[in-house]
Amino acid sequence: MIFNLNRLSPKLLRVALLVIVLGISSYPSGWLFNSAQAEDAGNLYNTAVDIRMGNRYFERQCSRCHGFDAKGNDETGAPDLTGRLRRASSDTGIFSIIREGVPGTAMIPVATDVTNATVWQLVAYINSLRYDPASVELAGDAKTGGKLFAGKADCSVCHMVDGQGGRLGPDLSRIGENKTPEDLLLAMLDPDEEVAPRWWRVRAAGADGVIREGFRMNEDSFSLRIMDIDSNLWSFQKRDILNYERFEKSTMPSYAKSLSDGELDDLVAYLFTLRREVLP
Amino acid sequence: MKNATVQLASLCMVLSAGAAEEQLSAVITPAFTPITWERLVDARNEPHNWLMYSGTIDSQRYSLLDDINVDNVDRLEMKWAYQIPVIDRAETVPLVVDGIMFITEAPSNVVAVDARTGREYWRYDHEMPDDLRICCGRNNRGVAILGETLFMSTLDAHLVAIDARTGNLLWDTEVAPHESGYSKTAAPLIVKDKVVTGVAGGEFGIRGFIDAYDPATGEREWRTYAIPGPGELGNDTWSGDSWKTGGAATWITGSYDADLNQIYWGTGNPGPDWNGDVRLGDNLYSDSVLALDGDTGSIVWHFQFTPHDVHDYDAIQIPILADIKFNDRERQVMMWANRNGFFYTLDRSNGQFLAGKPYAAQTWAQGLDPVTGRPIRVPGMAPTYEGIMVSPPIVGATNWYSPGYSQDTGLFYVTSFDGEQEFFKRDEDYQEGERFTGGGGRYTSPMDAFHSSIRAINPETAEIEWEFPIMPRSSAGITTTAGGLVFTGSADGYFFALDASTGEELWNISLGRRVHAAPITFSVNDKQMISIASGNVIYTFGLRN
Repeated sequence: MIFNLNRLSPKLLRVALLVIVLGISSYPSGWLFNSAQAEDAGNLYNTAVDIRMGNRYFERQCSRCHGFDAKGNDETGAPDLTGRLRRASSDTGIFSIIREGVPGTAMIPVATDVTNATVWQLVAYINSLRYDPASVELAGDAKTGGKLFAGKADCSVCHMVDGQGGRLGPDLSRIGENKTPEDLLLAMLDPDEEVAPRWWRVRAAGADGVIREGFRMNEDSFSLRIMDIDSNLWSFQKRDILNYERFEKSTMPSYAKSLSDGELDDLVAYLFTLRREVLP
Repeated sequence: MKNATVQLASLCMVLSAGAAEEQLSAVITPAFTPITWERLVDARNEPHNWLMYSGTIDSQRYSLLDDINVDNVDRLEMKWAYQIPVIDRAETVPLVVDGIMFITEAPSNVVAVDARTGREYWRYDHEMPDDLRICCGRNNRGVAILGETLFMSTLDAHLVAIDARTGNLLWDTEVAPHESGYSKTAAPLIVKDKVVTGVAGGEFGIRGFIDAYDPATGEREWRTYAIPGPGELGNDTWSGDSWKTGGAATWITGSYDADLNQIYWGTGNPGPDWNGDVRLGDNLYSDSVLALDGDTGSIVWHFQFTPHDVHDYDAIQIPILADIKFNDRERQVMMWANRNGFFYTLDRSNGQFLAGKPYAAQTWAQGLDPVTGRPIRVPGMAPTYEGIMVSPPIVGATNWYSPGYSQDTGLFYVTSFDGEQEFFKRDEDYQEGERFTGGGGRYTSPMDAFHSSIRAINPETAEIEWEFPIMPRSSAGITTTAGGLVFTGSADGYFFALDASTGEELWNISLGRRVHAAPITFSVNDKQMISIASGNVIYTFGLRN
């Protein structure tokens, strides 16, 4: 294992952080970790080697729930760690979650004998999965893209952004957090490439014999719930369903021909700006 | 996009409206129709729905449904259960709107499920900062609905609007800075075209208030502080600058009278809770009920239950409104079993005290002034540095859990606790965002040594008509029905039904974990159901077929 000598000098700082983190565990239950009180000194273990060490530890201990690609797992409820993290907004926040766990969830703390250095390496690895959106340079103009979104491209008929728009497609208010510009462009050129099960369509006839069709909001072993084009919610018991058809394609048209390359770039630029403002 | 629209139209079967829909609704869960203010005012007359936290704007929690009644309640069986994924205690009171149930979860999430099966339509997970200041666990008690929008308080002291059909976030407004000690757990109350909501944080030296927001935009329409500022009536009931950190949180849902156009809201303890030396005076409007103008939020009248409280006797109960015969005269009353151990009947048009008596063990007051209702204190019962035994204990003779009222029996039902605790005080300086309580309390006997019961109180006499003993102590709310029933739960995990007239036990089931919420009743496809949260699970019961 290689350590940089310059890491020794802030040793005291790390000790201070440790004290704060340990101090937190003595708060009454009901308190969440209180990392924001800790001074965010940044991660001192963030070299390429640290990231690799963190990756190795992640694959061994974390991937069972979060997946080898760290993209999470709906079944275990483990979140995707490659986009914006919902529970932590700083390195110390990530550190605290790994060290302390998240109460009331399957996210248990790492064993107490795991060193803080290893936890910081994990933090470095998790950070390496993301990038700073401000560092991305895009050809398109976001402002023009925003006008296209509500105008010529008519996206807001189906998609909501910040509470405005339709219900016939995913809410895009935060789409920039977890999608790369490449993902966004691909989704517009070939919407069928990746359609989340929530947006599959189902056509089903219930016991009344009436065929209803809509987006598959939720389906389980015995029941099915859909939203039709008028935003009506319907629920079926599968034993009552007379026939059932499922379409795993998107209802969104390809924009490959209806928009110019420049317009697509503008839309991508706009969509990429859609993210929640960072919490203080 | 024209293509897309055509494509969508063709892929979705266009339903013939009207008759066909009506005919089919018996077979398949129908879509819900928007909830207008008129529907909310008249919520009692659509008893198949549970449209707000307390069922109706008078907060009686009395349902006209009577399919389940004293003769058949012992035939209840579980129809479905919904498990909340985040492990904490569920204090939620779901809403039911035309066959869809909206359940809030810890910490501040919402899920929409089919009310027949408990299976999910959508969920909203609220993103939370990691530096919450919360006194008492990660709770959320429910949503409000207006139109097609749900409104929810969050632990980071925001108010959010959520599309009831998709779970999409419509707006997210910061009500107060969470880092200063504010949080929000209670369901908002819709009053006409506004979302009215309070705030928690009485253990953090906040200054409580009641707010109203525009449901379309999340813009604040008015704010009424529960502690008067300098120059305002009542500010001189706080010594020095103590009003600035005086608490008086407003952490539960209020009620509304459409004829009087008055909003009624309870307020919490003054802060610091147990050391009154630093806030001499009556400390208005802590531990009070405020009557606010339904349009402007200005204070019309107030009634303070516990002036200069030093025992944390929050007036955080749900005001129950009813028109009853009182001394042979029809009166518009408000019934209130307070955390301080006294039951009160007030004239809600003007706040006049009509009747009041202890309904649970209490040792801090000799009684209430028969004219004003002001408590006559027993000297020497304030917390000391060494500790002094006082009843009720800090959790109170009751607390935030909803009481109920039956229009059939005319009785008021409350979960009550006859306990005692040693109260002590500490010297503490206020530091923003830190706890500011000035003391605390400790039990010197095991919980099983105390007596708890469901008590039925006659609001005209303030006398207890019957009681049903439970143990050790309950934090469950109460719902009554035209079937002659009182439904409630207990800390040892039972859900049960009592005869509203006599208190006789008619049915019980062990749900395995503490009941920390109030039941609701509704019907789907003409079948009455009743739901209750226990532990982390929402259980729904109906009659055996």
